[in-house]
Parts: sequence; structure tokens; C-alpha cells
Amino acid sequence: MKDDVTGSNKQSVPLYCYQCPAGPDLMRVEVEDGVAKRIVSNFDIAEEHPGGGRVCVKAYGLIQKTYNPHRIRQPMKRTNPNKGRDEDPGFVPISWQEAFQIVGEKLREIRTRGLVNEEGMPRVASTTGGGGTPVQYMGSFPAFLAAWGPIDQSYGAGQGVKCYHSEHLYGELWHRAFTVSPDTPRVNYIINCGNNVESTGGVIGVWRGANARARGVKRVQVEPHLSVTGAVSAEWVPIKPKTDAAFLYALLHRMLIEQSFETTCDLPHLKKMTNSPYLVGPNGWFLRDVESGKPQVWDLSTDSAKPFDDEVGDVALTGTFQASGFESGADNETIQHDECQTQPAFQCLIEHMRPYDADWAETECEVPAETIRRVADEYVSQAKIGETIDIQGHTLPYRPVAVMLGKGVNNGWGGYHCCWARTLLATLVGALEVPGGTLGTTVKLVRPATSRVGSVLPGEDGFMHHSFNPTSANEWEREPKVRNAYKMLVPLACDSPWSPALGPAHLPWLFQKSAPKNWPRTQPPDLWFCYRTNPAISSWNTSEVAARLAEFPFIVAFAYTEDETNHFADVLLPEATDLESTQLIRIGGTKFVENYWHHDGWAIRQKAIEPIHDTMDMTDIASHLAREAGILDGYVDAINHGAAGSRLSRANCYDFSLDKENMPAGDDIWDAMCKAVSWDMSDGDEIHDLNWFRREGYMLREFQELDWYLYPALERQGLRFEMPYQERLTRHGKQLEHRLREIGLDWWDDQLAEYEFMPTYQSFSDIWKNYVTEFGEDPEAYPFWALTAHSMPYAWGANVGIPLMHEVALNLAGHDGVIINRARAHDLAINEGDAVMIESVTGTTQGTAVLREGIRPDTILMIGQFDHWKTPIARDLGLASINSVTDISLKLTDSTGSGADLVRVKIYPVDKHLATRHDRISRVTTS
Amino acid sequence: MTNRLAERPTPPRWGMVIDVNRCVGCQTCTVACKHWNDTQPGVQWRSVIDVETGRYPNVERFFLVVGCQHCAVPPCVPVCPTGATQQRDDGLVTMNYDTCIGCAACAVACPYDARTIAHEHQWYYGEETPQEESARHPEREGVAQKCTFCVDKVDEATASKRDPAIDFEVMPACAASCISNAIYFGDFNNPASNVSTLVRDQPTMRLNEDLGTDPQIKYLYSTPTVPGRDADADDFDEQQQSDPANPLVGKRQTFWDWRAAMNWCLGGLGSGLAASAWVAYIIGQISMQEIHQLQLIAGVIILAGLFFVWLKIGRRWRAWRALWRPQTSWMSRELYAAGVFLASVMATTQVSQPVVGLYHLAGLAAACFLLCQARILHSAKGIPAWRTLRVPWLIVASGLLEGVGLTLLLVSTNMISSGGSVYLDPSKLAGVMVALALLNMLLWLGYRYGADRAARPPLANRIVDNMSWPLLIVGHLVPVLLALAAWLDGASSAALLGTAGFLAMAGGMFWKCGLILKASYQHGFSLTRLPQRGSGTRAAPSLVA
Repeated sequence: MKDDVTGSNKQSVPLYCYQCPAGPDLMRVEVEDGVAKRIVSNFDIAEEHPGGGRVCVKAYGLIQKTYNPHRIRQPMKRTNPNKGRDEDPGFVPISWQEAFQIVGEKLREIRTRGLVNEEGMPRVASTTGGGGTPVQYMGSFPAFLAAWGPIDQSYGAGQGVKCYHSEHLYGELWHRAFTVSPDTPRVNYIINCGNNVESTGGVIGVWRGANARARGVKRVQVEPHLSVTGAVSAEWVPIKPKTDAAFLYALLHRMLIEQSFETTCDLPHLKKMTNSPYLVGPNGWFLRDVESGKPQVWDLSTDSAKPFDDEVGDVALTGTFQASGFESGADNETIQHDECQTQPAFQCLIEHMRPYDADWAETECEVPAETIRRVADEYVSQAKIGETIDIQGHTLPYRPVAVMLGKGVNNGWGGYHCCWARTLLATLVGALEVPGGTLGTTVKLVRPATSRVGSVLPGEDGFMHHSFNPTSANEWEREPKVRNAYKMLVPLACDSPWSPALGPAHLPWLFQKSAPKNWPRTQPPDLWFCYRTNPAISSWNTSEVAARLAEFPFIVAFAYTEDETNHFADVLLPEATDLESTQLIRIGGTKFVENYWHHDGWAIRQKAIEPIHDTMDMTDIASHLAREAGILDGYVDAINHGAAGSRLSRANCYDFSLDKENMPAGDDIWDAMCKAVSWDMSDGDEIHDLNWFRREGYMLREFQELDWYLYPALERQGLRFEMPYQERLTRHGKQLEHRLREIGLDWWDDQLAEYEFMPTYQSFSDIWKNYVTEFGEDPEAYPFWALTAHSMPYAWGANVGIPLMHEVALNLAGHDGVIINRARAHDLAINEGDAVMIESVTGTTQGTAVLREGIRPDTILMIGQFDHWKTPIARDLGLASINSVTDISLKLTDSTGSGADLVRVKIYPVDKHLATRHDRISRVTTS
Repeated sequence: MTNRLAERPTPPRWGMVIDVNRCVGCQTCTVACKHWNDTQPGVQWRSVIDVETGRYPNVERFFLVVGCQHCAVPPCVPVCPTGATQQRDDGLVTMNYDTCIGCAACAVACPYDARTIAHEHQWYYGEETPQEESARHPEREGVAQKCTFCVDKVDEATASKRDPAIDFEVMPACAASCISNAIYFGDFNNPASNVSTLVRDQPTMRLNEDLGTDPQIKYLYSTPTVPGRDADADDFDEQQQSDPANPLVGKRQTFWDWRAAMNWCLGGLGSGLAASAWVAYIIGQISMQEIHQLQLIAGVIILAGLFFVWLKIGRRWRAWRALWRPQTSWMSRELYAAGVFLASVMATTQVSQPVVGLYHLAGLAAACFLLCQARILHSAKGIPAWRTLRVPWLIVASGLLEGVGLTLLLVSTNMISSGGSVYLDPSKLAGVMVALALLNMLLWLGYRYGADRAARPPLANRIVDNMSWPLLIVGHLVPVLLALAAWLDGASSAALLGTAGFLAMAGGMFWKCGLILKASYQHGFSLTRLPQRGSGTRAAPSLVA
């Protein structure tokens, strides 16, 4: 378009921003005379987008990201063979041809030697970061990985710590909830333990939350510091870190024991839709019907035990009964009972929860018992038990209450307990997966990946099918096939493409340094691909990770600028970034964090401007690598089968498959993809090519609101929520224990103890407190809890190195320092703006004191996680990072393989303790 | 799109409604504004501040969208000496970058810290990028800039008969981009508009409402579960009001530095010298030759002051434009007064025969100049330490004291001859100085302890308190004592009186520099109503009995 006044050429180019998992959001780039000038929201989709068509603050940084003068401008190779933080890599520019030759030669050599090494581990590894977001920027590179063969994707870059790890695993088991969300448009009352959705929830999360507040929702925010989400909640309840389970258990106690459960619980729901009435035998396993093998319930009308799916007059939730049957334990152990004492699982639950009253909880979590009781009563009062609502002609229960958990609450020890308690709170009032209640968003572990509701399939004992990693003697994976051994150690991790990242993803770094007992030596991969991730900054114990990276023999980093991880790389391949390259993304439906749409479809990211340097679209890089590695046909085949987003052919419908003989051009791949997805969405009525998508930006079709909720699919198939009793999980835990014993592995014993029929509370905070003693130090010498919090402007997309993001982030408290309670700081002679040192038993980090009232006196907060020493701009900000003071340790790893962003520290003004600091640094360095 | 503009019976009155309970402080509006308006590093026409009230464990945190309030009674408009800042019929307070001289009178008059002057262009990466090159606005360098409510969009809406309240393309960037739908733009003159409906149906508050600026951004603060409450003393105790890190607390202004201060120091001194001499001349206590000498000296001093302030303004070669608004701007008037004074004094040097009227004209102009200086500071509504009741009186009284002090110094050091005039008799002059010193002392004590104190923020009071004893002793008391000593000890009286005159003069410069450079904290943001939410006593009401 030619501007009549200025004579300049102006274009408004539609594309998506997926810099965080809460997206994608659609935007337009205004381009003038070939220069990307500004970002604006794509208001064409304002009506359909649940966030009003807006993009958040991060998207506006993309132009500076594009024009960052510190970008890697052409391929580079390392000239210094020595690797280390203090070694200059000596990167020198090379041509793309030479770069592909170098990498191709390495890849061909690996294929010649064998795809796995002597320990059976893949010789090639690949890591991406950002909650799966890099996939939406890496074009057809997933097809390269698929064509290659075994690839180790289990090296973490913070996964398991920086995500909702327990929620991912248990959430998918219980209600297909890789992440959890309130039904925000309908919910009236939310108990929120540390979930910072106003920061992490992206445009849609913020938009829906604001509408809910204006409507009158009450949210009680329970967290040690007053986050952005706490700020806009009706009430903030300060809680001692890592004691949320005590708070949640006390809520359950109030509902089940202090109050009459007959008035606080949705009894018909519990009887029909949960395992509450399943009878439990003396050994804790379900008491099963001898003939059918099914768990039994007690029929009060006939005073007899019956299989759970028989016709039952009035099923018992409480009481103790005499019944016959058998228990099915671990490894097919069968325990017969001619006549035994049995109780419904619900009765067991009541007994289990009896110790956890509000007064006990107050001593544990330091929330007044009176507050706990009131919150429980408010929750019940708002649950509207018995009410229904009509959704698209279907009558569903209406329960406008929800419970949310944050990352630090979710992860590491105690995460399971919190997830269980949260899901149980929803279950008790019938608020799980119904309008107004606690919902899942999407699935990443169970299949099919594209349909949460479609993944509701009948499984054993009346529950949904779940693909646990097997633990039986003949099916268990006895030797790890990837370095974090997720299939071996974590039954809940399943075995989807996402599973490697959801195992104990920090263990490869730990085991590479020193393998534990009876564990194969962990050699680094022969070649490691690193894409949009920076584990040398984003992991726990970053100096340790950096040291391990230095041991990697060959690293191929797809680079934007120099950073702390590609500092160790051998070849830098600069990608054309967000505004310079092309890809399609699936939008709509239901997806994390609060993506609940009335539509689904596809949107495009396209080349708004010509690449300003000698960079290359990731799709073209992938194609070249495939050709160099000699796997071009497999690569194209993988694209044809959907590895780059969607399959290109469907029997008797369409065939846009690419020719496997020739290296496809990027535009040809996306043109075929556009045609395929448009055919899919319209059943062949509309077939749109790449140019159409470039012009229009996206294509939508309707998505049923009924599919926001899982309840109808379960009810339709006569399935139950697997709550509150965890028999299946416990069986896997016991079997895993047997297997590990068989190979003499005892360093996972603490983790095995988490497999219980119903989780028993421990003082989880003491695990971190006592970890100090591992280093021979006094816990009292480290009196603070150090926490971190998400930052919307900074999070993901290398945004901390974008000056515009930094400028606006500084408007928010704590983005330039370490937040500490004002009165406590004054006690320590720390004033606003003082340089302070934060010291744990394993490391130090330095920042600037920010004095606030909204934080407990025993807690300090470091927003974001940045201790950059290489990334341009970011390295000059002087921000503290929790990652520099946390440790990678089995002691701090729970049974799902997750840890928490939590550490005990001391804090002091820098100048007064300079000597101590230097001592500490040297000690850490030498260790 | 509904064509509501065409149906509107009265001219629009554009404004905003911002919902505090919706805003999450994400800064999307901040950055969208920066994108749309191409502002350079560090310049934010729209921003969101992060506010905390109360003390742990009774704490509340909220986010406040701030920027130009497009006040119905904008204090920035009348003070502008060039007319670059205007208010349109639709209420928008606009900037003309081509006529602004960057004097910052508007910036210190704004009680919302909404204005910025960027004297040099900066680049985000320290070097120019193609995007910054294409989005550079050289016309904004060195002049005042602020939120325009995206006037280009609003004008486009008017031209194309679209409604900026509902049409995203012509809606101000902050409102269109807001991801919590917290910012509404619309027409307060239209009772059916979005903003009128919102403020009719819900209680609202405005920032710094007590200043009488009638701001046109109104804030919603309550929901069905989060009622509003009155702000109380525990929300912002004195310590919190004294915390520079608290975003509600005004920052110390940096628009006027030592060069601007020199205008008050030298201008006050010079005009005080000339004005006091003129009074003496009127009552026949000095000769024409003597007033001629003093006015010449005063002219040089005033000119020096104006030279310094000229060095400070952003666009020096358009300084003449400052003459454009004498009808409202005391700065324009000051220049006219200076012009008349200097012209008169110059004229007295050019005429062959003394013209009495020229001396009277110069004296009158000097007095006006002094008065203008007093009113310029007093008009700076954004600086509480400047705008209070006694400041103009202090400026005038101090100018006279400094002028008399200088006269005494000149006489005592024989730099001018007393020539037998009564006024220039050192002991008589010392008497005038003592009287003026006592008057200044009383005014200062009133400024420090009187109603002015309550009108100033604690940080400014701290500076005023710190200045008080040095000023009272060195600038007021010692000169008085020296004068008394001189009367008692005739032998060394010249030295004593010269010192007294110097100290009186120095004292005046001291407190004016202190006031302009140190005590000049901006108004900050005062809130009268808050949401009832937070922890402890701040928590929203319980839902159960």
C-alpha cells in the first residue's frame, strides 16, 4: 500500500506471537519501506479471541529483538577447542555452506558409528525451552528430529522446576489436565495457592480474570509474597513457603470432619462419579469382586457388597462392613478374603484427614486457623451444590468454585499432596470438570494430543484409561534409553513426545558429573542441538550446568545473540527470527493457560520483513541438515505425516504430500500445510494456500463450549474420576520399588515413599531447611526462604535482553532487585537500593534491595531468573537469580522428578561482607 | 460500526475511565503507547505504577495507570509562554512541538508528572536501529512532550466519522491495547457513551482532585465483592510518604537545574536592587545619578540571570516565542518586564539629558519583574514547595532584601559612592536591611511552620527544615546582628555592614537554590478512595457470617 502523503510503502502483516505458553495471540506488524516499525493487536479476531484480540507487552519487544545489533549475523564456528566459562570461544564467521558441511559431517559420522552409544544412550540430543513454545518457531525441525531416529530430549533447561510439574502428571491422570484453570467466566470463588495467573496467563488469562473480577468473583490468594495476582485478588493470605499442603489439608478437614460432610459435600456426585464408595480391604487395595475382579461398593439397601457398576440401591460412603473378595496388590499379588472388615474409600479418607485440623495447620503454615475455617466455609457456601446449568442444550452440574496452585506449590516435595488436595476439594463439591469449576486445559501425555475430551476412554476399574510407563516385571524398562530415564523412574510421565521433558530433566546434568550407584555412566551426547533455550541460566545450579556443558564435545546452537549456553557451542546457526520466518500454528480449542475458545483453527507467522542479516528460516535449516545427514527422504516423509504441524494427506480426502526425492523449499512446505489444514477445517469446502494465509492471517471454525468440560464425556461412558483413592498409582509405586530393588538401586527410595493410597502430610519445608546440614552448616544461619516469581515482560523469548522490555518492566516493583520485607530489612541494616548478597550453601547471587510490605519477613523474592554473564544487555543489568543459589540434588527431587524454586539463604549488604562473599565464590568455584 | 459521532448533539469532551480492579500492571498500555507514538528510551507518556499501601501484615497492592489527565482546568496551559500547549474544544490538551521552547514551565505546573523533556535523542541499544531511524521525531527533541490521547487517531476518527470509543483503529493506543480491558476512552459529554455510563453506574475517584484541575481520567475502584473504602492514615504513613521509592511520592523535579535557579537568584537580586533603589528614588532618598548606577548594575545582573536560563531551555533559538502568551503566562510577562527594564536602562545611557520617566519606568519594570518571578514559581502547581501561599511573598521580600544587601555591600566597599544620599547612608541602609531581614525571617518561619508546611510533602519539608537554621542564622540573624554591631562600633562598621549585606544577599540565593533544586519534589499522587482488598484488615469482606 502506498501512502499518498508520504509516498512510503506501508504494509500491515498478520502473524502470531507465541513467546509464552499462554498464547498464541495474533498481531500485525506495521512495515514501512521494508522496516518493521510497530506492533499492533490484530483486531480482526477481536470477537473470536477470548482475550479481545490483543497481544501482551512481550509482543511489542519483537521489533527490537529483530533489530538487535548484537544478533549473530552469520553462521559462526568455534576456533578455541577448549571450553569453559573463562575460555573465549573464538567464534569466526563462516558461510552457510561450510556450516552445513561441518554439522553434516558430524551427523554422518554419528550415523556411521551408530545412533546410540556404548551405554545405549542416543548420541544426538536436543533441548528446547519455553514450555514448548520453541516448537512454534522451529519450523520443520521436528521432522528432522523424527527422521533422525533416537534422540535424547531429556536434558532439561529448567523443566520440572519452572513448570507445573506435579499438575502436568497427576492432572492428566485425574482429569486430563496438563495444566489447570478455573472456569473463569463462570467461577465465583477461587482459592489460589501461589498461582500467578495475572502474570503467566497471557492475554486471555488476564482478560478473563478481569472480567471475572468485574463480575464479582472473589479470589483468595495464598502465598508468601503479594504477587501481581495477589494484588488484584480480594484477599491475600500470607503463608509460610512450601506449607500449602497443610493449608489445603485443613480445608479438607473443615469440610469433612469439623463440618458435616453431608452438608459440605456433593454426595450423589461422590457416589456416582468418584471412587469414594469403593471398598478398601485390610491391606489398602480395593476389595474386588471374586467373579468380575471389579472393585466393590456397599449397597445399603441390600446390605451387601457389589461390583461398582452393578445396580446399586443406595451406595455407602461411610461405615465399616464385613465383606468377601480379594485384593489385587503389586505384581499380581492376590490376597483373598472370605470375610474381612472393609470400609469405603470415603471413610478411609475421613480417617486419613482426621489429624489435619485448622489449629494444627496454623502451626505448620502460619495461617490463622480462623482464616482457614472461614475460607473453607466460603468455598462451600459458594459451591452451589445441587445446582445445574444448561450448556448447549446439555444440563450439567454448576459449581462455581475452583482451587489453583502455583509453580512453587506444584513442584518438588509436597507438590503431589497439593495437587491431590486441590483436586479433592473440587471433587468433594462436584466442581471438577463442570461449569464454574476446576478444569483441565489440554493434554500432552495422553493421546490423542489434539483432543482432551477425545482422550477420555474407558480404562480399568471404571476410571479413564491412562498410559502409565509399565512397572511390571516383564514390561519395565530395565535400562535407561535416555539420560533422565523417565520411563524407568516415573510411571506417570507416560511416553509421549513431551514425556522426556517431563521426567527428572535435571538428572542428566547431575549424573554426568557423577553417576549414582548401579547406574550407567552418563556420557554427554556426541552432538547436542540447542534451540531457544539457555540451561546455563535457566536451570538449577547454573554454574554446575555450565560446567557440564563445557564437557559436551559438539554443540550446534541455533543462535540469536551470544548467550551463556551457546558460549560452549561449536557451531552457531543464526535463525531468521520471529518476524522474518514462516510457520503455521494451531489456535483455539482449549489449551493452557486459560485458552478456552469457541473456535479453533490455524494462524500463520510469516516473513514480515526480509531477514536483515545472513540468517536462515529454521525450516530451511532443517531441510539442509536433513540433506547433509542423508535423511532427506525420512525428513520429507515426517513432514508428510504431520511432524511440522499437520499431516499433508488424508486417505480419500486430499494429498498435498511433498516429493521425497527433492529438498523442499520452505514455502512449498507451508503452502502444502495451508492447503491441508484448510481442507481439514472445512471438510474440503475451502482450500487455502500460503498466500491466502499470508493475507488473511488465520482460519477458524467453531469449537463446542461443551468440550471445555470433561464431565459429559465421563458421564456418557459411565466413567469415574480417580479420586480420592490412589490404588492404581500405589500399585505402580510398589512395583517400581520391586524393580529398583531387583537392580540394586536404592537412591530413589525417598521418592518411592510418595506412592501412597492417600498422601500423608510431611513438613515439606523442613526438607529445604535441613538440606543446609548436608553441607555441614547450621540451618539457622540461613534464615530466609528465597523464592522467585514470573514476570510478564521478561518471561520467555530472551526478553530480558531487550531494552524496551527492561524499561517498562522497571515500572513494576522488584524487577530491578531483590524484594525483602521492609521492617526485616531495616533490622538487617539493609536500605532501599543497597547492594545485597544472597547466599545459600551452594552459591551466591547479588542484587539490589527492594523494600516492600507485601512479603513475609522470612522470605525474599527474586523476580525472573537472570544471572547472565554473556548475553548482551542482560549481562549488564545486575539482576539476582535464584538459579545461582539452588542446587541440583536427588534430595530435592520428588517422585515425579521435579524440584521447586526454593532455597534457604542468608542476605546481607555486600560491602559489609565482601570477604565472606569472596570466600564463598571461591568455595563454590572449586567445588 | 455505529456512527455515533454524527448523532452527537454537543461537541465531545474526551476522557478516560480506568478500572483499578481490572488493571494488572502488565505495562502493555505503556509499551503500546511507546510503539504508537514512537517515544524514545525513558520517555513514557503512559505508564502504570505499582502501589503498596499499609504495613505488613495489613497490606494492599494495586496498579495505577497514570499520564496526562487532560484536565478540564489544565495548569500547564496558562503557564506556557509560547502557546505551544493548548486545550482544544474537545478537551484534549495538545502540544505544538514546533513552537515549544522547552522552558519546562508546563512540566513543573503539571501535578501528574505527565510531561517529559528529552534534550538529546537516545537509542535503545546505544546505536540507531533501522526502526528507530524510521520512527525518530526530531521535532520533539528539547521540547515538552506528553500523552495526547493519541490525538492523531482521535482526529482520524472525527475525519472519518468513526467513534474512537469503540473503533480500535482510532482508539488511543493504550485503551485499544489493554489486555485487561481496564482503559475506556470516550466522550463525557455524551450521556450515552461508554465512559458516561461507567461513571454513572459506579463510584469513581480522580487523582489529586483537591487541586482543582478537574482531571478527565476517572478511576473505578469497586466490584460486587471488593467494595471501596476511604483512604486512611495507615495507608500512607509519614515514612511511606517520605520514601522516594514509593511511586505515589513525587520525585524531585529535574526540569529546572542550577541554570534556571540562577534566574531567580540573579533576577531576584537584580530586580530587588533596582526596585529598592526605585522606591528610594520615588521618596527622594537617592539621586538620579545614583539610581542610574544601581539600575545599570541591576541590568547586568538580570541579564546574566536571563542568560543562564536561556542556556537551560531546550530550543534556545526559538526563545523569542516566549513572548507569545503575556495574557496568561508569568514567564512571558517576566520577559516583557525584563525587556522594558533593560530597554529603559539602555535608554538612560543613550539620552544626552536625563529623562526622569525612564528611571521610573525601569524601576516599575524591575518591580514587575520581581513580581513575575514570584508568580512563576507560585504557578508551578506540580511542585508543592513552590505553589504555597507564602512563596510569592518570600520571593518579593527576599529580592528586596538581597537588593538592599547588595546595595549595602556596594556602598560599604566603596564600589559606589554614597554621595550623601540618605538611602545610601550605610547606617540607614542597614536599618532598611534589618527591617527586611526581620520581615523575611517572619515569612520564612511562616513558610516553614504555617499552612504551607501541610501543603508540602514530607521530603520537601525535610529540605525546608534543613535549610531553615542556616538561612535564619546566616541569612537573617547574623546580618541583623552585624548591623547592630556596626551601629555600636563605628570603626569597623564598613566591614561589618559589607559582610551583613553580603550575607543577606547570599541567604536569599541560598534558600532559592534550595527551594528550586532541593525542595522541589513533585506533587505525586494522592488518593481518596481505595479498593477494600489485601491482607489482614485490608481484606475484602467475608462471604460467610
